[in-house]
Amino acid sequence: MTLIAGPLLPLAALVWPLLLAGLSVLPAVRHNAIRLLPLAPLPGLWLALSGVDGVTSAPDLLLGVTLALEPGGRILLGMTAVLWCIAGLAAQPMARRPNAALFAGFWCLTLAGNLGVFLARDVATFYVAFAAVSLTSWFLIVHDRTAEAFRAGRVYIVIAILGEVALLLGLILGAQAAGSLAIAEVAAAIETPAMGLLVAGFGIKAGLVPLHVWLPLAHPAAPVPGSAVLSGAIVKAGLIGLLLFLPPVSALGPILTGLGLAGAFGAAVWGLTQANPKAVLAYSTVSQMGLMVMLVAAGGATREAVPYFAMHHGLAKGALFLLVGVALISRTRWQRALCLVLGTVTAASVAGAPLTGGALSKAAVKQGLEPWASHLLSLSSVFTGLLLAWFMFRLARLEPSGTGPGWTARFLLPALLAALALLAPWALWQDWTGLEQGYPAKADSLRDAFWPVAVVVVLAPFLARWPMPTQPPGDVLSALVRLGRRIASARPRPPGKIAPQFRLPARQIAPSALEAAFGRWSNAGTVLLLLIPLILVLLLV
Amino acid sequence: MTALLPLLLLLTSLVPAAISFFLAQDSYGLRNALNLGGALLKAGLIVAMLFAVAGGAVYETTIPLAPGLVLLLKIDALALLFVSLSAALWLLTTIYAIAYFGTKPQQSRFFGFFSLCVFATTGIALSGSLISFFIFFELLTLSTWPLVSHKQDAASLRAARSYLLYALPCSTLLLVAIVWLESATGPVLFDETPDLDALDRSSQQAIFALFIVGVGMKAAIVPLHGWLPSAMAAPAPVSALLHAVAVVKAGAFGVVRVVYDVFGVARVTDLGVGMPLAVLASATILWGSIRALQQTEIKKRLAYSTVSQVSCIVLGAALASPYAVIGGLAHLVHQGLMKITLFFCAGIYDERAGVRDIAGLDGLGWRMPWTSACFSLGALGMIGLPPLAGFVTKIYLGIGALQAEAAWVLAVLGASTLLNAAYFLPLLARLWFREAAPDARGDERVPALVVPAVVAALAALGAGLLAASPLSPLGWATLITEREYLR
Amino acid sequence: MTALVALLALPLAGALAAVVLPHGAVRGMVPALSVAMLAATAVLVAGLSAQAPTRLKLGQWPPPVGIVLEVDGLAAALIAMTALVMTAAALAALRSEQPAAAGARAAFGFWPLMLLLWAALNAVFVSRDLFNLYVGLELLSLASVGLVAIGGKPEALAAAMRYMLFALVGSLLYLAGVVLVYAAHGTLDIGLLADRTPAKPDALALALMTAGLMAKTALFPFHVWLPPAHGSAPAPASAMLSALVPKASFVILLRLWFEAMPDRAQDGALVLLAVLGTAAVIWGSLRALLQTRLKLVVAYSTVAQIGYLFLVFPLAGGGSAEMPWSAGAWTGVLFLALAHGLAKAAMFLAVGQWMAVTGSDRLDAMRGLATAMPMTSFAFALAAVTLVGLPPSGGFTGKYLLMTSAFAAGQWMWALVLAGGGLLAAAYLYRPLAILFARADAPGPATLPTRGMQAIPLCLAGAAIALGIASETPFELLSIGRPAAAEDGS
Repeated sequence: MTLIAGPLLPLAALVWPLLLAGLSVLPAVRHNAIRLLPLAPLPGLWLALSGVDGVTSAPDLLLGVTLALEPGGRILLGMTAVLWCIAGLAAQPMARRPNAALFAGFWCLTLAGNLGVFLARDVATFYVAFAAVSLTSWFLIVHDRTAEAFRAGRVYIVIAILGEVALLLGLILGAQAAGSLAIAEVAAAIETPAMGLLVAGFGIKAGLVPLHVWLPLAHPAAPVPGSAVLSGAIVKAGLIGLLLFLPPVSALGPILTGLGLAGAFGAAVWGLTQANPKAVLAYSTVSQMGLMVMLVAAGGATREAVPYFAMHHGLAKGALFLLVGVALISRTRWQRALCLVLGTVTAASVAGAPLTGGALSKAAVKQGLEPWASHLLSLSSVFTGLLLAWFMFRLARLEPSGTGPGWTARFLLPALLAALALLAPWALWQDWTGLEQGYPAKADSLRDAFWPVAVVVVLAPFLARWPMPTQPPGDVLSALVRLGRRIASARPRPPGKIAPQFRLPARQIAPSALEAAFGRWSNAGTVLLLLIPLILVLLLV
Repeated sequence: MTALLPLLLLLTSLVPAAISFFLAQDSYGLRNALNLGGALLKAGLIVAMLFAVAGGAVYETTIPLAPGLVLLLKIDALALLFVSLSAALWLLTTIYAIAYFGTKPQQSRFFGFFSLCVFATTGIALSGSLISFFIFFELLTLSTWPLVSHKQDAASLRAARSYLLYALPCSTLLLVAIVWLESATGPVLFDETPDLDALDRSSQQAIFALFIVGVGMKAAIVPLHGWLPSAMAAPAPVSALLHAVAVVKAGAFGVVRVVYDVFGVARVTDLGVGMPLAVLASATILWGSIRALQQTEIKKRLAYSTVSQVSCIVLGAALASPYAVIGGLAHLVHQGLMKITLFFCAGIYDERAGVRDIAGLDGLGWRMPWTSACFSLGALGMIGLPPLAGFVTKIYLGIGALQAEAAWVLAVLGASTLLNAAYFLPLLARLWFREAAPDARGDERVPALVVPAVVAALAALGAGLLAASPLSPLGWATLITEREYLR
Repeated sequence: MTALVALLALPLAGALAAVVLPHGAVRGMVPALSVAMLAATAVLVAGLSAQAPTRLKLGQWPPPVGIVLEVDGLAAALIAMTALVMTAAALAALRSEQPAAAGARAAFGFWPLMLLLWAALNAVFVSRDLFNLYVGLELLSLASVGLVAIGGKPEALAAAMRYMLFALVGSLLYLAGVVLVYAAHGTLDIGLLADRTPAKPDALALALMTAGLMAKTALFPFHVWLPPAHGSAPAPASAMLSALVPKASFVILLRLWFEAMPDRAQDGALVLLAVLGTAAVIWGSLRALLQTRLKLVVAYSTVAQIGYLFLVFPLAGGGSAEMPWSAGAWTGVLFLALAHGLAKAAMFLAVGQWMAVTGSDRLDAMRGLATAMPMTSFAFALAAVTLVGLPPSGGFTGKYLLMTSAFAAGQWMWALVLAGGGLLAAAYLYRPLAILFARADAPGPATLPTRGMQAIPLCLAGAAIALGIASETPFELLSIGRPAAAEDGS
């Protein structure tokens, strides 16, 4: 009996955050638990950067744990680890806040789940990891314990559990069809209804329209580092799910394309109605994730490059969220100016301005994309650009709400992320596209990337002058919330009979008058005298 | 010696029961030593047998009563699954009960009937013939009555009355079923499926229905579940035992025996009675959950949750495909571990914080962290969240349903998960995220109450985390299924 | 042989001695006599050979001139049960002050009547002659009526009077039947009657005797004398009356239908008996449910339990006699009779103790007594388990055997009667149990019976349970000399 076969590092990458989570409960560690956070993703990061390869299996764990890393998983794992690490650093100022240990514990649990979805190669482990990242992140959302956070948390948990159920049922159907728990075999054998359930499960996590309603509520409600990982890394759990399970040719492809596009454009428009910069970013996430779903559904080389695209988005989105946190403590003009510059650069990258990481990631996915889709992608860059321009306006108007020491250090964290977002795609360009290093700097590429930015620059002033009417976050949600409330709150019932108290109607069936009649001599004698001939007759027949 | 092992297992509970009755109230030491000793001895015996039975050993004892009436005790893999669950949880509950009762009155009576109840449960597990099963089944009914009515107040007596009101008619029907069957086949032994062809088809169906009513009442299958929520009037250790090991489990175990060992899968399929049973079990799963939503008392909510969860076992048995059987059998243990955790915790809330209503849970999490952590684990496991034990069962039941070509069961499982979440998560939110009332109290100064809950919760976690290992409940259920039902 | 003689002679001699000897000496004599009787019973049962019943020809003359006594399994089992119940009742009567409190006359009368009853019962169980049976039956009725009246209260006297009238009418009808048989065949020996050439008056004789014995067995609708009689006698007397006396006339019915005239047993008549038995089960149980006095609950329960016994007729008699299931029905019904005897005696003795403590047998007076007298209450509960027919108990074994045979015979309605009767029994016995186990409002009674006293009903109830746990020995015992009509047909 082997306990563990294959390289240990993948298992260690998952166990280490769990250990830290356990550690953070201990009284000795409790007050400094936040200090552990940057350490938690390090084995995962090491795994992504090192060349460790091969399949790890622990047959006794769960239903037989199998872990492995493929290129898409590796790049996402690396991005996730980096983002969690930097967000963990950004969370350091929270160390003195109440319930910090709780936050730290669940942070580590969520992280373990988030890394797990990229590593898992059997459906049970995948489901466990997905549930972990999905449900424990609830604690990140409600951490501030405001009414708003609880409302977002409630919406989130209801939808997340719906997603879990859909996912579980889909996985069961898939496992049954494949006769195996291995993801590769399940993906090969899965049928459309089961895939539909999986798409629902993953779509909820990935903010796929119309399952995205929780996201604009939940992401802004979390503390800033939480928002960063939620929007940058955790949503990718849904994406990796789609990448792992969706067959290359699927009846769901057109539907996914449609929904993805609806999200990509609709969310970008609706985001313009938001006042809170974090909510704007959340809608931007919905928009970007919609784009990625559309790209996955497109298949072929485009689908292959989606992890590359997602990596850039994760890093950039993390940087923008962290930047909001920094802006909140930026009081001097210089500080604010630096924030705006960094924000603009990062936003430009997300919108795909030439030579940025964003432009590279878009160029990578455009390979193999049909022309109409390619144009839509470029058009979406306009919408993204406008949305992020709106974000910059809102960021610029943000009133600083607090002060904190170490502004520089805290500013460096989003700066680092932004730098990675701009440069990492360059470093990985050849590996992922197979194209020459200079391709993004060619005239065609530059033109392709340039015109959306130009349109944005032209239109943005109009947006600043005539903003769209402000709306609360959450769009098609109100009906759902009402339903969720009804489910989640118990209606008290008047105390009544639980079990029927049955009483035999003995007095009616056996009345005392009849009993008395039996006792009268005349009656008893008559019966006796009748009985004798009766027996006689019966004996003689 | 090996022939005596089943008897020894029974005696480890019967002897403490018999002696407890005659002890004076204040001989705490002796009584506790007796009960703990019995529980430990039994656990030891089971551990000793575990590997032998895994290797294929079978222990058997026969006690003839009258021609046609043979008390057959037999330890095979399935029996051992149930016995080890009951032994382990008995040990925990004994520790808990000793702490719970402290110096409260009428302990001799309580522990006497308590051990008797475990004796009957063990007997049910070990029964190798239908009539032995019935004898212990009835003994369980009788020994539970004094436990439910233990507090002797109006509510307890009403609950106890309602219990008998359900139990006796149903067990009478069970007897009718047994007698009807055995009048055609002779004594029924579990290790050889009897030949029922002497009976016509509709008689066979009628007998099956009678059997299901008879054992289903204890498993609280709707509409025979009404007694269970009112039995909440009993003291917490009793509720824990009732819901996790003794009564409802005996019912579920009975369904398994009836489907697999009395009728056999092939005949159940042939008679077309498996699917109606699956439908009934599904209805119970949903109805129990919906009713649980409406309860405001913690124990009542847990009780309805039991109604719902136990039917998962029945569902597994009814679907009768390999995975469903494994899932159902594993759930026998999983549900026991999780539910006993929850009831231990509910008892602690009642004892140490005076909280019985859900509203009272506000903010208790931080005041009673260990208890609340265990409660949370139990609740999450019930919902079926990984990596707790519940999710393993769900996956197996789901795949099993597909193997049985009953895809609609997936919808039931999904709905049940949602409903479970809907009635458990608000409790957790209250525990951890609400402000406590200013006059709230609550502490965990009695470790003997908390430790059993922690152990049970960890076991529930372990059963899920290590599900694939051969000695986990799932592994054991797989062994049983391979050995007994896939021959 | 000696044992059989002792079983008949000892109680008779004891009864005579009890009249003559002073009160103190009687109290000394009774335990010794009981021990002797138990010993004789043990010798008798042990000496019973598996092949054939023990026969004793008085004066070595063969029938029809001489009188034959025969101990088969049925007789031995009932003698043993009688010995147990009588000993327990005697010990309870010795220890309680009940008879003495009722006055010197009661104390004087109790022991001779009790011993006479014992002798009469044993005589009925072993007699093989219809007239001897009549004599035994008359003796039995006499002693029983005396025991009912012994308290001397007006309602006891009225109950005794009613009892006597029923018994008298029953005896007369029985005697009329005996005369018809004698006139037709010139013999009253059961063994010879079995081989007789059938004659015209047989049917009438059987009908008359059956009707008379039904009245004496208190089968519905002739049960009305039983509850007041058993309800107003002193508790130890009630125990004997309820547990044993109806069994005597029932045994004669069995002898008649299965041994003397099995050829006469037509299905219609057999079904009629079982239908009346069914009615008794239902009526007795429902009436028991309505009583507010515990003794009456227990007495009506006897009415219901007697009803079960009559289910044996269609299952083991007539056309069923040759069938494989008849053996199960025969043995099962005897199990029921034995278990009922032991359990019912335990109940009455328990009730007697509670009455001594509370001064009343009203149900609400018993509230919470389980705390003060746990052993007695437990005995009552165990007895209830037997009467309801829950395993493991003699009542269950009997019910199981009867039900199996009912299903095997295709006469499932009798199985339903057994099942439903068990539920009804649970219903009417639950009421006293719930009241006993409820929390007491008032502090418990000051003086309690000794532990030894409390142990008496517990032993009886325990015996009823043991009958089910170790049922193989009694089963084999009951098979000895089983009448040809109930022989295993396979």
